Amino acid sequence: MELQSFVAIPNVAYLGAAVLFILSLGGLSNQETARRGNTYGLIGMMIAIAATILLLVVPNGYGTVRDIGSNNWTVLIVAAVVGGAIGSVMAKRVAMTAMPQLVAQLHSFVGLAAVLVGISTWLTADLAGHGSDVVHLLEIWFGVGIGAITFTGSVVAWAKLRGWVFGKRVPGAPLLLPGRHALNAVVTLTCIGMAVPYLADTVEQAAPAIELGAQVESAEDALERLEVGGGTASEIEASRDEVSRLSAELQAINHPTTDSRAFLLLMILTGLTCLLGVHLVLAIGGADMPVVVSLLNSYSGWAAAAAGFMLANDLLLVTGALVGSSGAILSYIMCKAMNRSIWNVVFGGFGTDGGSPSAGSATIEGEVTVTDVDEVAELARNAKSIMIVPGYGMAVARAQHLVNEFSSMLRKKGCNVRYAIHPVAGRLPGHMNVLLAEAGVPYDIVLEMDEINDDCPDTDLVLIIGANDVVNPGAETDESSPIYGMPVIQVWKAETTVVLKRSLGAGYAGVGNPLFYEENNKMLLGDAKDSMAQLMALLT
Amino acid sequence: MAMRIAIPKEVVSGERRVAATPDTVKKLIKMGFDVSVETGAGTLANYPDESYESAGASVEPDAASLWNSSDLVCKIHPPQLRSDGSHELDSLKDGATIISLLFPEQNPELVEHLQRGSKTAIALDKIPRITRAQKMDVLSSMANIAGYRAVLEAAHLYGGFFGGQITAAGKTRPAQVLVIGAGVAGLAAIGTARGLGAEVRAFDVRPATKEQVESMGARFLMLDVPMDESGESSGGYANIMSDEFLQAELACFAEQAKEVDIIVTTALIPGRPAPELILQEMVDSMKPGSVIVDLAAEQGGNCTATVPGEVVMSSGVHIVGYTDLTSRLPTHASQFFGTNVVNLLSDMGGAEDFKVDFEDEVLRKSTIVREGELTWPPPPDPEKPAAAEPAKAAVPAPEAPAPKKSSGHGHGPSGEPMAVGPRNLIALTLAVVLAIIGFTAESAPVPHFVQQVTVFLLACFIGWQVVWSVTPALHTPLMSVTNAISGIIVVGGLLGVAGPELNTAAILGAVAILVASINIAGGFLVTQRMLQMFRKEGN
Repeated sequence: MELQSFVAIPNVAYLGAAVLFILSLGGLSNQETARRGNTYGLIGMMIAIAATILLLVVPNGYGTVRDIGSNNWTVLIVAAVVGGAIGSVMAKRVAMTAMPQLVAQLHSFVGLAAVLVGISTWLTADLAGHGSDVVHLLEIWFGVGIGAITFTGSVVAWAKLRGWVFGKRVPGAPLLLPGRHALNAVVTLTCIGMAVPYLADTVEQAAPAIELGAQVESAEDALERLEVGGGTASEIEASRDEVSRLSAELQAINHPTTDSRAFLLLMILTGLTCLLGVHLVLAIGGADMPVVVSLLNSYSGWAAAAAGFMLANDLLLVTGALVGSSGAILSYIMCKAMNRSIWNVVFGGFGTDGGSPSAGSATIEGEVTVTDVDEVAELARNAKSIMIVPGYGMAVARAQHLVNEFSSMLRKKGCNVRYAIHPVAGRLPGHMNVLLAEAGVPYDIVLEMDEINDDCPDTDLVLIIGANDVVNPGAETDESSPIYGMPVIQVWKAETTVVLKRSLGAGYAGVGNPLFYEENNKMLLGDAKDSMAQLMALLT
Repeated sequence: MAMRIAIPKEVVSGERRVAATPDTVKKLIKMGFDVSVETGAGTLANYPDESYESAGASVEPDAASLWNSSDLVCKIHPPQLRSDGSHELDSLKDGATIISLLFPEQNPELVEHLQRGSKTAIALDKIPRITRAQKMDVLSSMANIAGYRAVLEAAHLYGGFFGGQITAAGKTRPAQVLVIGAGVAGLAAIGTARGLGAEVRAFDVRPATKEQVESMGARFLMLDVPMDESGESSGGYANIMSDEFLQAELACFAEQAKEVDIIVTTALIPGRPAPELILQEMVDSMKPGSVIVDLAAEQGGNCTATVPGEVVMSSGVHIVGYTDLTSRLPTHASQFFGTNVVNLLSDMGGAEDFKVDFEDEVLRKSTIVREGELTWPPPPDPEKPAAAEPAKAAVPAPEAPAPKKSSGHGHGPSGEPMAVGPRNLIALTLAVVLAIIGFTAESAPVPHFVQQVTVFLLACFIGWQVVWSVTPALHTPLMSVTNAISGIIVVGGLLGVAGPELNTAAILGAVAILVASINIAGGFLVTQRMLQMFRKEGN
């Protein structure tokens, strides 16, 4: 009885960890509870790891303790410590502008771990028992596949976000191979098709093991009969030898081998799905990276869930499902914010069609009004309500600290300065919020597009810093515009808009912006950081 | 032949307002109406006849023929007897429409009169207080003016400064103002008194008004008796309150009367006499030279000493009972009134599509008579049956609800804990169900795989519920924390390494542990780092 209750501890602990993970995500519903949420997650993780180690060292339901070599313990601890140290350093060092890269990197690790766990599980499968079960083998097959796509897909996403790898520039533009859809389909079908010989071969490998397993069982039965039925000492001895001989023999063939055909197929699967991951992400344009990173977030969850299936581990299953849905929701939100379908993003190759900036869009009439810092300072001085629309360009120019000084100074003077954030601002969902928070902007004056859009007509001055497509009126009016239908911040309804921009070029999505030609719009050309610094100098 | 609108001169003596200004006449003409204005209609509001003419209206000297030749008459006061003994309504031709204040409850004879012939009558005072109808709501626009003017009347009679003064000749304290009823008029009075520099406190039976009062810079007086939502009836007006509440309220006012210099009362209950809130002994206890402005004078007054239409002196206290406060600001009052009328007519379809559409809630509720047929009172709203409780005690109530404040300055996330709460609750309930299914039953009668799929789907659903409640501002931390918790795959690595020897499987497991640990440490730490950056303004 005592043994039984002892065995239940890890399961109860797993339940606790799962609940803590749910609370952890729930805590992020607002800024006040967010830190507590993160702590819940951390505690959940500690409990889960402790429970798993407990599971390894306590006797199992049959009273036998798992045999773990001391070398294995050493490797386990070293791996955990080294991994933890690397992670800590990465977390400490990463610049907030580089968050998308970090997130992509972490996705790739989950994918890699899923592949490794999958192969490792296959290699340690108990062929005589549950290990040759077709469902179990398919779970491994699927887990390795999705893990590999996540792994290489995330690596490519990371490289694209970073812009260069090993000293070489990675093009942000999508790589569109001819017949790429057919290519993807062929690879996917091949992977599915290969599952058949893989299953057949593993089951074939299992046959002698299963037979031997049956022999072991009957030998054990015989031994038991002798022990209970009062056989002679030598008879019992002989029977015991027989059992251990057969057991040893079984042990030798009970796991699939690396020189089998099935292993080769598993390796080919890994290779092919790795290539698939690379190809899928290479075909996606730079502007769509936020969606791709969200999507890979989702994949990494599904990969973990797949590992949960193959290891029959409910905690992995639950966590994977949580992460998977989270990524799916984020991808959905991002797609909606760009008025695109997920298929369009994954298979679209957006941002290349036509090539010329104003392709298809009606020729824009009017003149661009260029202004200078003196005029903008005057406008800011007289404005009662100011809206700042930041884009990734602000972070690139490292202007966010100056922008924060600007806004807090004006707020002290009683001007209602607020920030308007478009869902796809930045390179990651919520990225702009983090960048502003880092610069010291209080979160309660940072509003989402939907919260602030109605206030645009009552705003005296809008400063658009390093953003372009998210304030493009063409998205509402110009049906031929590639971004037509995308919800945008309606800055043109404000009294005056000022666009801080390096030059008069097109935005990230390569679409011309009629806002620049509006009568109440002024362009402040130059580096955003320099412009902000000059503005501050004039205002103080 | 375009529809012709008549703007008669008001017959009530002393009324200076007019139902249309040259500005609103222009808008009416733009909508396709012909407009005729009675000679001298706008003179007292500083709109001479010529200004109407240059706006495109014709000017008609004779009232009776003006009414008679028009399809639509817009005026302020209910139609009544002219000085020559003829009744205005009798000049309205059959099939024509009158739009004005009508107060059908108080004027049963008028309602009866309106049904003669086939006339249509729309009562501006019956326009429902819904967001869409705010632009046509004359009671609100006039209440705003009355509240403003009330404070100016008080300032005029008061012998001191409103704002505190610090001069070489000495210093004075700011005037202390009490405003009873925080509807549109009350809030306007608060704003005006604050603008003049006074210190203002305010009371209302509806606790929900506290925030509005405070946003205007006044202190909200609280009673010791529990206040609940019951102070508000359908349509945003105040209700009748209990005896206990009334006692507490009067005690509070008695206390306040000794302290304040100015009292502005705006308490009205629709269709009833105004509640008596400032009793004679409270007036006696006030400092000599204090002023009471009673905006409820027309309905009998909130102060027992009020004489409607007059300023009286009682125990050295001026009590202003003017019933024509809006008329004392005729220029802008006419402009607001006229704009309300323009908005109503535009809602009714302008000149071309002019119709009294009963599908439109605004018109259904405000139409008293349609083509000679009585359509008032309108059928009650299905969801809020009008259960009128017998009156035990009448208590203060502001004459109108304040317009809903726009939620422009949002604290998006913190503003919605209510919406988030249930969602998390659902998720946790599901988690428990999941626990029962997933973590207990070793001996479950279902195959293991089916059980796993169940757990998986439930977990997806929980994830879906929980993640939607995450504020968009925290989506990046959400990603990094999910990175961290998907490091749970370390469990797979642990199970892989935990064998007797260091074979391929164990090494693969070890590498999995390595990368998963990077995720765990990196994910949680970077999330912590990000979350620490988020701070509120002022912290």
